[in-house]
Amino acid sequence: MSSSAGSELELDEQLAELLRGCAQSQAPALQRLYALTSPTLFACLIRMLRRRSLAEEALQDVFVTIWQRAGQYQPERGRPMAWLVAIARYRAIDLLRHERSAAFPVADLPAVQEPADEAADDRTVTLAGTALLERCLALLTGEQRRCLELAFVGGNSHADVARLVGSPLGTVKSWIRRALQSLKACLES
Amino acid sequence: MNAAPTNPELLDRLAAEYVLGTLRGPARRRFERWRNSSSLLDERCRFWEDRLLPLLLPALRPVRPPPHVWQNIRAQLELPAPAHRGRTLLYALAASVLLVLGVGAMLYWRSLTPAPTEAATIAAPTGTVAWQVEIYAAPGTAAHLSVRAGTLAAAPAGHDYELWALPKGGAPVSLGLLPQGPNTTQRALTASQQQALAKASQVAVSVEPSGGSPTGQPTGPVVFVAPLRSVS
Repeated sequence: MSSSAGSELELDEQLAELLRGCAQSQAPALQRLYALTSPTLFACLIRMLRRRSLAEEALQDVFVTIWQRAGQYQPERGRPMAWLVAIARYRAIDLLRHERSAAFPVADLPAVQEPADEAADDRTVTLAGTALLERCLALLTGEQRRCLELAFVGGNSHADVARLVGSPLGTVKSWIRRALQSLKACLES
Repeated sequence: MNAAPTNPELLDRLAAEYVLGTLRGPARRRFERWRNSSSLLDERCRFWEDRLLPLLLPALRPVRPPPHVWQNIRAQLELPAPAHRGRTLLYALAASVLLVLGVGAMLYWRSLTPAPTEAATIAAPTGTVAWQVEIYAAPGTAAHLSVRAGTLAAAPAGHDYELWALPKGGAPVSLGLLPQGPNTTQRALTASQQQALAKASQVAVSVEPSGGSPTGQPTGPVVFVAPLRSVS
């Protein structure tokens, strides 16, 4: 897993500073934040929503929300990228409620093949905490891990995950529940 | 409307499923209401949002959104267009005077300081920049090298870091010792160094005895290799 240019800590500080600027209604701060983070958030939305036009609308909503709620971001309670990604993912899940029938679950490969965008600022992809999570993920069974990824990365519901892995719904639910319990114990130890 | 549960185990399980995205429908909306009024629940959500992030990011390849998305955001939030609007004539006048002065100063400065022709960023796998190397070899100027030290553990006692050009099909050619600590050094490039750089697409850093390699070739471990990229 390759690392990216620029220190992660510096990027976190920069993003937190830009969020403070947004909270003070400074338009250039939002513009800079958009330049730095929109390629990652857009990729996340495309992955979950699968339709580019829908992902574009969602991205617009996401940045409007970021601007309006920037004052609620507290650096001591989590990394800025986690806060931004959460807004994007929750928006996508809301939209999925209306837009996607369970007949089209998202498998682990993106349905929309996007060319690598060299111009995109890849510093947005930061990997802090990867080592700890990887260590904890290693304690899970293969099925547990795959279910977590299908849900978290692909935005799939329990029923969609069950269909994708070809296991009964109840089994998948309990795999996910046990996976989360095991991760919690490991992450907090 | 149901009240939020108080059992911490159950709260955490709901928070995890909410963040994961498998809590759906009316249960999800009910949870959102609880989260808005419970700092404990909010804290549990932040925990999962933060810890699960590394599961997501490596799976994504950034995609630049089309320009109209940003234009729509700006229009929806009624953000001012960059520069103008709402400025008095005085401000505009002052700004243009400053611009003229600024451009003039920049042109003058550029005439004094040529841009580098090649550069290399030597960074640790974590992304921490150890050195920024710039080569100035434009025709008609004195060829030289500029190295800015970033952050890196000092070389082991009695040792120095040495920079090498790696010409294709030839032996490494020393470009001198690297500075440690926060400073920038410049040194002239000899003809043989310039020839080696012209044929090189990479530079390397090795750990050498204090004062540099005694043999003229790397003797210690090579700790970094970085691409040399054309700048101008």
